[in-house]
Amino acid sequence: MAEVILNDVKKTYPGGFQAVKGVSFAVPDGGMCVLVGPSGCGKSTLLRMVAGLETITGGDVAIGGRRVNDLEPMERDIAMVFQNYALYPHMSVYDNMAYGLRNRKTPEAEIATRVKDAARILELNDEMLARKPRQLSGGQRQRVAMGRAIVRKPSVFLFDEPLSNLDAKLRVQMRVEIRKLQRALKTTAIYVTHDQLEAMTLADMLVVMNAGRMEQAGAPLDVYQRPASVFVASFIGSPPMNFVSGVIESLGVVKLESGETLPYDVNEHIAPVGAKVTVGVRPEIAHVDDNGPLTLPVELIEELGMGRLIHARLGARPFTIAQGPGEARPASASVRASVPPHAVHLFDAGTGLRV
Amino acid sequence: MVERRTFFSVALPHAILMIGVLIVFFPVWLAVVASTWDPATIINGQLGLLPGPYGAENYSRILFSGASSSTREPVWSMMTNSFVMAVGVAVGKIFISLLSAFAIVYYRFPFRMAVFWFIFITLMLPVEVRIFPTYKIVADLGFLDTYQGLIIPLIASATGTLLFRQFFMTVPDELLEASKIDAAGPFRFFKDTLLPLSLTTMAALFVIQFIYGWNQYLWPLLITTRDSMQTIVIGIRKMITTQDALTEWQLAMATAVLALLPPVIVVVAMQRLFVKGLVETEK
Repeated sequence: MAEVILNDVKKTYPGGFQAVKGVSFAVPDGGMCVLVGPSGCGKSTLLRMVAGLETITGGDVAIGGRRVNDLEPMERDIAMVFQNYALYPHMSVYDNMAYGLRNRKTPEAEIATRVKDAARILELNDEMLARKPRQLSGGQRQRVAMGRAIVRKPSVFLFDEPLSNLDAKLRVQMRVEIRKLQRALKTTAIYVTHDQLEAMTLADMLVVMNAGRMEQAGAPLDVYQRPASVFVASFIGSPPMNFVSGVIESLGVVKLESGETLPYDVNEHIAPVGAKVTVGVRPEIAHVDDNGPLTLPVELIEELGMGRLIHARLGARPFTIAQGPGEARPASASVRASVPPHAVHLFDAGTGLRV
Repeated sequence: MVERRTFFSVALPHAILMIGVLIVFFPVWLAVVASTWDPATIINGQLGLLPGPYGAENYSRILFSGASSSTREPVWSMMTNSFVMAVGVAVGKIFISLLSAFAIVYYRFPFRMAVFWFIFITLMLPVEVRIFPTYKIVADLGFLDTYQGLIIPLIASATGTLLFRQFFMTVPDELLEASKIDAAGPFRFFKDTLLPLSLTTMAALFVIQFIYGWNQYLWPLLITTRDSMQTIVIGIRKMITTQDALTEWQLAMATAVLALLPPVIVVVAMQRLFVKGLVETEK
């Protein structure tokens, strides 16, 4: 049980490349923090610095109140689940799980209990414990990798894109299991992924990263509802948010580049009249409304079964509307749409930050 | 490509292979036949293609009492010497190569690449080239006529180091990282993870180096002078060139046949691992 605190953590490689440019956040005890971002944003590097597999070139990492910068991975009381599982191919599943404990001189009887417990939680039967990793399916290997982390009873779990080698169906299933497991064990966890859906569903705390910097940290719903920048807004949510440029026409009204005007919530956004902004609208909140202010020529309609995506244009920009299952499919070549004021996001046109 | 299996496409390659086998096998067969006749038959040129009645006598004589006209050392002692040398060279080479490859791949130390290239360059320096300084060193150490003298100068191996280096570089980094997190230090990682994974590579190297050690001629010739230390390859040589006496061909041939056996046994016993080690990259 421990809290993880990162304070202005930096990573500069010997060549001068700065992979992580000063990141600070705190994961509360028992919380699940998800680092999400596009590839190359520094999220894995950050995780590996917490694990002790990369040296920390600036700032501090503390686990359970103890500064761990100069400690070896084995002294940090962490367990890590790797993307390709990194199971020892020549050891049986049982030995894979027991290896870390044996190296720590845990009595063999206790190892047996712990491995059996972990196996029960992960639904690995005795016959599987005797097998070699290559005789297991991808999902089973994933469980063994989790088991290897669980038996250690570490104070922090680190997950490095653990589900990206699984097929889509298994990924959803394992995602749920990881969440349940982490809740049940109440162990602090840091989880790295590039999949925003995985990030949303797993996180107590979401950290969105881009180009070595932290763009936003917060509860997943907060990040979704009040994205701090155009980057976060475009990265979190699927299908991605629609963006149109516009100008503040008067207090509470923004005029889009295509000529239409939209009302926005003045309690949410403070922007001077005449300011250039980027207007963001989530596809799932924009809805078809025959009296709506926006006129959108439809280009393509995708049926998803549980709803449909209407790909249309707003002026020169693409604009997508996501419909729920109960809504009628538009018949005409052009639809009218409206957006509730509270769902209009405004970002500074220059800096991309939320205004 | 779809191959049509006609009579010729099956028979022709087999015929060619069989001819090849016959060509290679014929001298070996002659050696086996010659080792079962008496000297008179061989000298008179009456040797046929079928084994004669003197096999048991020739083999028991050469194994336990030795040829009378040349070296008097029995062949079983020569075989023991050769075996100790071949196993020593093979095991020594594997041990040294494993350690040096481990250092080169997993440690960051100054001039790492320079060290690697130094090892690489020694490929161009076989025993024959460095024979004088090596002899001097071994003589100064007092290793003449000893097993250490036979083995140690031959166990540094650039080939083995390269082979293991290539293998280690295919081992995923995550295994090392998982070991670090599992509280395994460098030596534990080497012993618990790298060694078991290298088993097939080790087997391949063992076969190659056992035969290399077994076939050594020049080095044992130089540093062994006592009959009790001589290896079987040298023994054969001594039996063939005798002074003031007829070469006892039946005994020389019996020795040659015996000399052939251990390498064959090693190859046959380790063939599956050997092929796996050279071909497979199981991770």
